[in-house]
Amino acid sequence: MRKFTKPTWLAISWLSLMMFFAIFGWALPFKSWNFVYEDDLEVGLFSNGHILGTDSNGYDLLSSIVAGTRMSIFIAIAAVGLGGLIGSVLGITAAYVRGKVDTVMVTIFNVGLSVPNLVLALALVSVLATNVDINQAVPTWRRVMVLIMSLTIVLIPILGRIARGATLSWAGREFVTAARSMGMRDRKIITKHIVPNVLPALIAVAFLAVGVVIIAEASLSILGVGIPDGASWGGMIARGRNDLEYAPHVLYVPIFFLALTVISTNHLGDVVRAQLDSREAKV
Amino acid sequence: MSSLLSIKNLGVNFDTARGSLEAVHGVDIEIPAGTSVGVVGESGSGKTVMCRAAMGLLQGSNVKRSGTVIFDGHELTAMSKEEVRNLFGSGMAMIFQDPMTALNPVRRIGSQLSEGLRVRLEMSKKDAMVRSKELLELVRIPNPTAVLNSFPYQLSGGMRQRVMIAIAIACNPKLLFADEPTTALDVTVQAQILQLLRELREDLKMSMVLVTHDLGVVAGNTDYVAVMYAGEVVEYAPTTKLFADMRMPYTEALLESIPKVDHKSGTRLAVIAGRLPNPTDRGAGCSFAPRCKYAQEKCHKEHPELKKDPDGHLYRCWYPIGVAL
Amino acid sequence: MFKFGFWLQRVAQLLIVLLLVTFGVSMLLRLIPVDLATILLPVASEEERVMLRAELGFDKGPIGYYLQWLGNFVQGDFGKIYFSGGTENVSDHLKQAMPRSLLLMVYTQVLALAIAIPLGVLSAYRAGRRSDKVISNTLFTLSSIPNFAIALLLIIFIGVKFAWLPTLGYVPIAEGYWEHLKHMIMPVISLSVGLIATYTRLLRADMIAALREDYVTMAASKGLSDQRILWRHVLRPSSVTLMTSAALSMGGLIGGAIVIESIFATYGVGFEVFAAIAGRQYIAMQSTVAVIALFYVFFNLVVDIGTGFVDPRTRDRRVNA
Repeated sequence: MRKFTKPTWLAISWLSLMMFFAIFGWALPFKSWNFVYEDDLEVGLFSNGHILGTDSNGYDLLSSIVAGTRMSIFIAIAAVGLGGLIGSVLGITAAYVRGKVDTVMVTIFNVGLSVPNLVLALALVSVLATNVDINQAVPTWRRVMVLIMSLTIVLIPILGRIARGATLSWAGREFVTAARSMGMRDRKIITKHIVPNVLPALIAVAFLAVGVVIIAEASLSILGVGIPDGASWGGMIARGRNDLEYAPHVLYVPIFFLALTVISTNHLGDVVRAQLDSREAKV
Repeated sequence: MSSLLSIKNLGVNFDTARGSLEAVHGVDIEIPAGTSVGVVGESGSGKTVMCRAAMGLLQGSNVKRSGTVIFDGHELTAMSKEEVRNLFGSGMAMIFQDPMTALNPVRRIGSQLSEGLRVRLEMSKKDAMVRSKELLELVRIPNPTAVLNSFPYQLSGGMRQRVMIAIAIACNPKLLFADEPTTALDVTVQAQILQLLRELREDLKMSMVLVTHDLGVVAGNTDYVAVMYAGEVVEYAPTTKLFADMRMPYTEALLESIPKVDHKSGTRLAVIAGRLPNPTDRGAGCSFAPRCKYAQEKCHKEHPELKKDPDGHLYRCWYPIGVAL
Repeated sequence: MFKFGFWLQRVAQLLIVLLLVTFGVSMLLRLIPVDLATILLPVASEEERVMLRAELGFDKGPIGYYLQWLGNFVQGDFGKIYFSGGTENVSDHLKQAMPRSLLLMVYTQVLALAIAIPLGVLSAYRAGRRSDKVISNTLFTLSSIPNFAIALLLIIFIGVKFAWLPTLGYVPIAEGYWEHLKHMIMPVISLSVGLIATYTRLLRADMIAALREDYVTMAASKGLSDQRILWRHVLRPSSVTLMTSAALSMGGLIGGAIVIESIFATYGVGFEVFAAIAGRQYIAMQSTVAVIALFYVFFNLVVDIGTGFVDPRTRDRRVNA
């Protein structure tokens, strides 16, 4: 294992902090993120009692961030996990079986890719989040589920295509042919020979996909179809737009957290891929 | 006899992740004007790198060149990149091993051929095209107008090599480096290309450095031969002298590995056992010693200096063939 | 040198994708657990709703509905947007939105390529050196910042603090080119930043690979300058990936720029989709998504044709592949 560079350590540390917020944030001594500090509206950064200030509603931004981290990270990990699992099963199967299955799968992936991510996510969210009684608001937990489902569906063709491509390049190699000639079962060849080789490429893309999902969730929130009054980074940015002129720090804070997280995941994805490339070069 | 190209103590190092790689080491070669010099050696012996280093064509921040190269009175190693560039085309030119990769795949033959004429000789576009057509005729390409409008991938290997020769001789160079010009070609085409080079050399009064791994190619096409091994010149002599009276065991081994007409069928060809030494870590002794059938203790311990016979025959061996010690 | 069979097959593939996309959206609508006619006409009488169901084909079952929609779409009838006071044609909305999206897309591409190509060439030429590292790291960081974040920061600083540029709205070219550009600058920058990073990266990688080729050494041995070799010999064979990526991102910029279009209120096609979805105008949504997919498929075809021009080898090779 190569030694990590300084930026890589920074990325790992930052993501660890975010994971800490996501998992143990509830244990931190904050009031609920939407507790209104009526005497402290739009307090600036590093104020007494509000390190990251407050917004025009009187919400403390640090506790909003901690609560938002939980939501954003949960949605990202759930969508990437599900999308990655389904996408790689479909992609690997298609590339391994070839023939008609492959053609059908590639066409389905292309259909998914021919509509911009956000348009697809928007359409899915709007359809899935429609109540039988359209005038009744959809509860937050259901919105979260709908969001995860929609983003999962968006990710499936993206990750599936990567898995298919990686499998194609490995399934043709001698050791697979050798395993087959020894009478190994297809399922075993896939789990023993294909998956371990395809996995690094998928992990690299999964890091990038986490960034994509975090940005997509935020975009949907800005458009007002995410978790409108819930605590997510995107929700904070959406609310912060009202304070843009007089208290821009309300925007800086969530943008800073979101951008740094995406930079970190992208960087780690890059590191994994670079390691993969150098391994490939040695083969 | 004046030298057109004089290479002294040329060394090339590549910095790699695994340390410094010494591709060429202490090469001295003189190319007299109007002659053809063969450079022979196995793949990886540093022939190509030596030629490119002599012309200054090695790119990259990890390349280090040492020694001096003097061409036609100009000390190339002391000149700026731009000054050396002004000697290309009309002074020195090079043709490459694989004409498929050495021609730009996305540009038409005409533009690649006329480019040198326009940049170096400052010809007009029209004149350059006319001259390009003449050049294609000169290298015996049957339908030059069609070829000018073709892309490289539309031509056969032999045609592409002819085009590359045309590009190289476009500005009448005094010295042509031919880097394995026939290796990538069919055997029948090889002979045609060598024939063409021979004729062009006479017509245009060019000197030539012919790089090859094939002693057979050297035999009929060169006046002098330099044998390279592990980045060093290990033997240098007039071609006829070398074949008749070689000094280096390596040259002998190389010659024995060529099939001959008088071999009975079923005769096993001699193979040089072993491999080239690791270029990042040369041992103390003669670099050929581990593979040499005459090697003695001294060969493994001390690196032989270049020795000179009275007739100018150079070699790098402690126990040369045909010399009484 | 166009091989007819190949192109026929390619077009057929893309048409199938197009049909499946529109069919998929159609099916999605049927998943909505509420009567569509009630959504579209919330305050109408039952007879009016029955008429609407018949008019739109809601009463025909999923396939019948799809075929009717498709028939209308092909003839240029994109359906209607329903208000309490009446209806508007979706095609009229798109007629207004499309030029905005196209201009936004063209400006964004021009800006991104104009910056990315020199940067890519420079960083490939200086690969591994300081300038290359500075360029690569800066672009990497910038590309990780989402475009809406860049948009909001631009608005805060350039729009509000210094008040150099207007932060909202769209001005057609006819009302003054300078005013038009002033309104486009910030949206275009927001959308370009990510593309610049992607393009530079692709071009740099391909150029570094091409610089190792023999034909570069060959060009150098002809006595050509580094500048000429980079721009005339290396750039073109290295730009296939770049062109592909650029063309594909065009499809994404038409309709995909939803957030930027809504932040800056330069209402283009992306915003139309969003407005249709937010306003539960499902017919408008279906037709607009179809138009977006149509552009995507079109640019895919452009890629195929374009790479043939950039690299002539692919014109023949494809057919054999």
